[in-house]
Amino acid sequence: MLVPQNNYANLSSAAGLGLISFDENYIVVDYGCMFFDSIVYASRLCKKVVGIIPSSERLNTLQKRLVEEGIKNYDLVDADYKEQHFEEVFDCVIINCFLEQLLIRAKHGKSIFSDNKTRSKKNGNNPEKITIGFLKTVYKGLRPGGTLYLSYANKLRIRTLLLFIKLAIESLFIPISSKKAPSFISLLNVIYLFSYCLLSQKGLEKLLKANGFIDIEKYAVFPEHKCPLKIIPLSRLDECSYEPVQHLYGGGSLRRISAGVKRRVDRIIFNKLKLFGLSPSFIITARKAS
Amino acid sequence: MASLLHLLLQPEKPRDIALMLCELITNNTHNNNIALYKCYNADKVFYRKAAFSRWGNKVIENEKKGYDWFYKDSEPSINTRLKKKYFYELDIPHFKGKKFSIESVISGNEETIGRIIDFYKCQWSTKDVFAIHGDLALCNFIIDKENIKLVDWEHFHYSDKEFFGYDIINMLFILIGHESKRTFRLNKRNMDFLKKCYIQLIEGAGNNNKILEKPFQNAKDYLLRFKDRFLTNVYKKFVLAGSPPSVLEHFDSIVTD
Repeated sequence: MLVPQNNYANLSSAAGLGLISFDENYIVVDYGCMFFDSIVYASRLCKKVVGIIPSSERLNTLQKRLVEEGIKNYDLVDADYKEQHFEEVFDCVIINCFLEQLLIRAKHGKSIFSDNKTRSKKNGNNPEKITIGFLKTVYKGLRPGGTLYLSYANKLRIRTLLLFIKLAIESLFIPISSKKAPSFISLLNVIYLFSYCLLSQKGLEKLLKANGFIDIEKYAVFPEHKCPLKIIPLSRLDECSYEPVQHLYGGGSLRRISAGVKRRVDRIIFNKLKLFGLSPSFIITARKAS
Repeated sequence: MASLLHLLLQPEKPRDIALMLCELITNNTHNNNIALYKCYNADKVFYRKAAFSRWGNKVIENEKKGYDWFYKDSEPSINTRLKKKYFYELDIPHFKGKKFSIESVISGNEETIGRIIDFYKCQWSTKDVFAIHGDLALCNFIIDKENIKLVDWEHFHYSDKEFFGYDIINMLFILIGHESKRTFRLNKRNMDFLKKCYIQLIEGAGNNNKILEKPFQNAKDYLLRFKDRFLTNVYKKFVLAGSPPSVLEHFDSIVTD
């Protein structure tokens, strides 16, 4: 039986990067290297890729993959994102899920690039400062006219929903209790953290504009940005059609039923109500002003 | 002069990355390693198929061959553009006209199906070399009052004229599957229509045709015999490949009796 696809590395999970037309002369930097396929894909199409990778363990795994693929046009760097120590000026910056990592780790008082607690909470957990600082670094490293590609999961939706469910369950068993208070505070904290600037499209757009980026385009991504099957530009919703998409992993009847329910719910949310703010993930592309 | 020399010796400044607005329509369907984008470039709209592996390159290159074969000498000319970077990209024009759902059925589309059979007879018999589209389905047609456009040539391959009719029989079988919701039980009206389609198709076939004597069974035989030509796992992609002989015999008897 012919199954030749198995002989080739399939990088389809990097389909989001198809939104950017890479040129063979470009030098690209990937902050976080969260998705290995993305860095492999970019290295195939560009002159050079620099990966700034958050842990030495991941760095070794990625290096192994790159060697396996026979890729040579890369540099992997274990460095703090704040240091502008690169000689190159980049044509494109890829940030896959890295902003979330940045904030989550900072919130827990950890260094971005190691697991040691090195930062004081007082200075380190202001999401606005962290995001602006990071965007400034990104901006400095980009050449005029260069492109920013940013993808992230809509965690506001997931985390808030999970916390609401948790609180609802708790309220069934604990009628009146002071134990509820910390949960509510935690919920508010999460909403603040994720809606203030990160994972709120408008907030992020504002931040990007304030930090010198132009031509900002936002995209809704389905079913997830790790392996997108559908990406819709939010500025062209009238011309785009949405049909629910899901990864098919087989499974039993329960899985099929839940997939069917999800399809129907998605049709109502996105097709009828057009609530694309509830999309599972987003991609933002922008350009540094020339 | 010195300034000109200085300008020439300077490394070329990279062009601005074109940030074209794109919509990802499909990605890696049937493990084809290809993504399909709808691209908006100023006021121009076109489609782009991009490979994400070397296998995808092979499929895209094959698709280009299909477009070239089909739209050769077409009026107005149809230009597809293949860009051979490490991963290939094929730009396809946006055709205006009515599009059909992937789940299209027979009922309500009888006139269109009749028109497609006439179109097939005309187009396929006038080509110098015979070829198979491989995935002729209603959803791959874009039709307006004057024109019929055909897209998705991933499974294109050259073949012998003896296999004239394969694509239409495959299309009818896909329609039967959707119409019957995979039960393969049709009402009399649908069955009469299938017979009409068969008669319409057989008028264009040669004496040595190897499909139309037992159309559904022979079409399946063709699919399995030449599965490597389709550049996909035919068992996963085409419902015809896995259909039981009894079902195919049943539909053969409906159309040929």
